[in-house]
Amino acid sequence: MAFVQENDQVTVRLEKIAVRRSREGVEVDILREISFSARSGEITAVIGPSGGGKSTLIRLINRLAEPGSGTVYLGEREIAGLDPLQLRRTVALVPQKPFMFEGSVLDNLQRPFVYRQEPTPGVDSEEVRRALALARLDQGMLQRDARSLSLGEQQRVSLARALVTGPRVLLLDEPTSALDRRTADSLAATFQEICRSQNLTVILVTHDLRLAGRVADYCLYLEAGRVLEEGRAEELLTRPRSAQLRRFLAEPSEEEV
Amino acid sequence: MESNTVVNLELLDLSLAYGLVLLAVALARLSGIGQEGQMLWASVRMVFQLLAVGYLLHLVFAVQSPLPVIAILFVMGAFSLQVMGGRIRRKMPHFYQVVGTSLFIGCGGVTFLFCTLVVHFSPWYDPRYLIPLAGMIVGNSMNGASLAAERLGAEMRERRDEIETALCLGASGRQASETAVKNAFRAALVPTVNTMAAMGIVSLPGMMTGQILSGTEPVLAVRYQIAIMCAITGAVAITAYLILLQGYRHYFSKAHQFVGE
Repeated sequence: MAFVQENDQVTVRLEKIAVRRSREGVEVDILREISFSARSGEITAVIGPSGGGKSTLIRLINRLAEPGSGTVYLGEREIAGLDPLQLRRTVALVPQKPFMFEGSVLDNLQRPFVYRQEPTPGVDSEEVRRALALARLDQGMLQRDARSLSLGEQQRVSLARALVTGPRVLLLDEPTSALDRRTADSLAATFQEICRSQNLTVILVTHDLRLAGRVADYCLYLEAGRVLEEGRAEELLTRPRSAQLRRFLAEPSEEEV
Repeated sequence: MESNTVVNLELLDLSLAYGLVLLAVALARLSGIGQEGQMLWASVRMVFQLLAVGYLLHLVFAVQSPLPVIAILFVMGAFSLQVMGGRIRRKMPHFYQVVGTSLFIGCGGVTFLFCTLVVHFSPWYDPRYLIPLAGMIVGNSMNGASLAAERLGAEMRERRDEIETALCLGASGRQASETAVKNAFRAALVPTVNTMAAMGIVSLPGMMTGQILSGTEPVLAVRYQIAIMCAITGAVAITAYLILLQGYRHYFSKAHQFVGE
């Protein structure tokens, strides 16, 4: 059973999320009382320097990790009260490094169904065709060995695999950081198309300002576990208010160094 | 000399044998590898530990009661658990609980079945049979168990990306760790399978040679060796299986989150 209907507006809302972790015996605040909402049909980008708690934040939304305190809402429901395996069908995550399971691309796309003990969709099935089209992958790709693909192709397969079960929320964790500029740009365009055409709620975590600038509708600046600034992306990225964000925006991106 | 009695070893004979250790120590000294102290200490430990066990067994044999026999088996099990704990540096979560119960069920179960159904000696606790048989079963299972535990931990660390990707795609903890568990089980079985395959050609097993030395008919000694090898294989497989069956769970939370070590 899905928690939300196919064309629902799904808002993801975080309320006073805090995470502490002990590092070498010392308790460190990873996230301090973070609150924000992400709306469907929009890409919400969480930007900020590495080690600022971005990846931790995104993993809380599909319950790959649990917050120390605070609540995550999917629509009106608290995700802590939902079955995590069902939740992950509605809330998909594309990790930074694409991991390809042994076998063909089709095998990889069938994995989510195998895990859920549902009949696996074939080459010509609606699910597979739709996922391929969304991730901009060719039908001919299906029989290829997934591990022999280029990193850019693997990231598209990873995206298709996340979309094949029809999620309503898509979480992207630094999805282009391992790719060259051109591949990254074309993947960014794909994210935008998917978000609009499927009316998905997309939350993107990145330290790549170029990517955020290209695709984000709404933007949060996270540093040292705190949201220092948030607003419409074009506004936030062009007219930063805080000194920290100004400094972050002025830093050359890693690619250009 | 009758064929079924063993030549007695007098103190003088033992001293001569110990001379060989001193020879080894002298060689170590000559080549300057700096191990003499350790070698001497190890040899002294060996002598005293074995003498202690010898007298202990002598006592237990004389008492003819099940309690001391069972106590010895438990000490053996606890000791092997402790040895394993010392040997494995990065232990899986709840190491002692998982490995301890698995050893107890795996080795205890197999020893019990083996003694009642295969060897069926009486009384059931006869230390002459029970202690060496259980000892061999526990000793070998200990190797399989530590391989299973160690490999499971390594696989879980190495496959972190794979496991988390699977969880994101809706896998349960069990499904996500399937490959890791399979690899650990395979690793645990390999040495036992290899030993079986090489038996009689590459190695003459200790129990068989011991029995032959003490006058047992070689064919009968071989039969014992076959039987004990089968029991060891079963015990290793069951112990390792139980460790993995319980072990993988501790790497995941109830909400199917990978929590690691």
